[in-house]
Amino acid sequence: MNLLDIRNLSIELVTGSEPILAVDRVSLTMKEGEVRGLVGESGSGKSLLAQAIIGVLDDKWKVHADRFHWRGQDLLRLTPEERKKVITKDVAMIFQEPMACLDPTTTIGSQLEEAIDEQLLSGNFWQRRKQRKKSIIRLLHKVGIKKHIECINSYPHQLTEALCQRIMIAIALAKKPLLLIADEPTAAMESTNQGQIFRLLSSLNQLKNMSILLISHDLENITHWTNTITVMYSGQFVEAGTTSQIFNQPYHPYTKALIDCSPKANIHLPTKSRLMTLPGSIPILQHLPIGCRLGPRCPRAQQECVQAPKVTNHHGHQVSCHFSLKGSK
Amino acid sequence: MLIFTLRRLNLFFFTMLLLTLLSFSLSFLFPGNALLNVSGQINASPEQILLLSESYKTESSIFAQYISYLKHILSGDLGISMSSQTPISVEIADLLPATIELSMVALLLAMAIGIPLGFIAAIKHNKPADNIILSIAMIGYSIPVFWLGLLAILIFSITLPWLPSAGQISLLFEIKHVTGIQLIDILLSDNAYKWQAFQNASAHIILPACVIAVAPGTIFIRLARSSMLEVLETSYIRAASAKGLTFNQIIFHHAIRNSLVKIIRHVGLQFANLITLAMITEVIFSWPGIGRWLIDSIYQRDYTAIQSGLLVLSCFIFIIHILTDFVYAALNPMARDNKHA
Repeated sequence: MNLLDIRNLSIELVTGSEPILAVDRVSLTMKEGEVRGLVGESGSGKSLLAQAIIGVLDDKWKVHADRFHWRGQDLLRLTPEERKKVITKDVAMIFQEPMACLDPTTTIGSQLEEAIDEQLLSGNFWQRRKQRKKSIIRLLHKVGIKKHIECINSYPHQLTEALCQRIMIAIALAKKPLLLIADEPTAAMESTNQGQIFRLLSSLNQLKNMSILLISHDLENITHWTNTITVMYSGQFVEAGTTSQIFNQPYHPYTKALIDCSPKANIHLPTKSRLMTLPGSIPILQHLPIGCRLGPRCPRAQQECVQAPKVTNHHGHQVSCHFSLKGSK
Repeated sequence: MLIFTLRRLNLFFFTMLLLTLLSFSLSFLFPGNALLNVSGQINASPEQILLLSESYKTESSIFAQYISYLKHILSGDLGISMSSQTPISVEIADLLPATIELSMVALLLAMAIGIPLGFIAAIKHNKPADNIILSIAMIGYSIPVFWLGLLAILIFSITLPWLPSAGQISLLFEIKHVTGIQLIDILLSDNAYKWQAFQNASAHIILPACVIAVAPGTIFIRLARSSMLEVLETSYIRAASAKGLTFNQIIFHHAIRNSLVKIIRHVGLQFANLITLAMITEVIFSWPGIGRWLIDSIYQRDYTAIQSGLLVLSCFIFIIHILTDFVYAALNPMARDNKHA
């Protein structure tokens, strides 16, 4: 059974004149124990999608969906409060800039304590304090922090960025989530720390069978860690499939361009020649092209592209393009 | 924390040095003889003046004069009042506690009402409650304090005789002067009518304190509202909500503390404003405080009193400022061990 099944989710920004469609009918499915990458340039709406799933968008944003199922339960039938309760029970999220995501005036220990589910504790209230403390220390050990006493008593600004991200992961693990949404967890981190965080996440996936939705702008980097990948561009669905399908045989011109511009895929390229890139940059929200939003930048664009293409499925490899690269290679 | 304390004490020392320099220069800037201005001995005989000029070193350099002035201040000699010929230090010791009492009650009132209202306005952002609170704040801030004071007397003491209009306590009660702060003195005394006296003194302080508290209170509303709105936008609040905390938990555990950190620094700044309002209100409500005394001295051209009164009042404001800095440090762990700011 699918853990998370979202069909045609749209997010609108409510402004004075007319609403802006920031995310346009994106579908996403997650299976149990799967690591799915969500890739796109900055501003492609991937963080918005993640925040819409967990329900922390503020009133400026309006979310619609044709289907929003969590473990077979239809969440669209619930009120926002009930939906948030169901979602936050089993889904946890870690953000980019972990230091900004921890309350600067509260110690790490008490922030961890808050996250612990009271129902997982047993015994009377005077025993709970001790139990809570024990479970905090266990959580910190799980994410590889050995100096737990120092860590519990310190404030976020006294720790490093990578340590804060480990603590965010520990907070996320406190609920024993089935799905962890990681929104660019290693942005603004050195590569050694990046590797540590990714290794921690993948070990959690293997040991606890926890699904992970890994959001990133770096397609090449996350292919090491994911089973499946979904690509987005400017709020639209581009392509989804297994990592090898996406990386070795992309069907969509945008995915192909993403892979072509990574140096590792072009190892045979002669020295000092230019890397392939798409002309232009991602459109801003106020001036979105109609139809397929890649249109103005796409090397294969034709007249039909002013109409948004339908998603076609080739053995689990979904692509949304009128002139896909299927069969052309 | 020790470094933080030392820095504040250092700041206190140098600010006091500057303040004494200012009040010292006032004695030259005021019309008349500088020696008479600083000492207040207007009826002194030539021999006494000779003695005075020796103790204030008027014949030596300006720097030596300043040092001798500092010595006089540190030994508690602020000169004598030109109009009443009593030592100013005695008068101030008599009057300052009443002002401290009034201004502290007003400050607490302004904070206790203003900050929660501001938080409510921020939580109900862009809803009717927000608009109502903001308009109340706007009106309260625009009302001149002397007019509000007269209006309050007219309504609450004359039309509805609920509260007394003047003074600190009814003349029926005799309270021994211990700390000078009336409410504490009453609690310390062993009078049989202690509680009646306490009630009476409280009834006297309500009206002036409310009048003083209106303007700072409305400023606190707007400060609290904007800082709470700012905090609610931050990513740690979003992360806390993704953690599965309820809205109340987020507000009480994270948002209030963080927005208080932003407000508390302004409390010290607003206190100077509050003292100015208190001086005017003391005149209206005949409160026996230092503000009324200072305004009277200005009318009577009592230069010695003006000079020393300003020094003492600004010293008091500065002490409050430093105390709020300590509260700020207690709330904000980042201020405690910051070595640069």
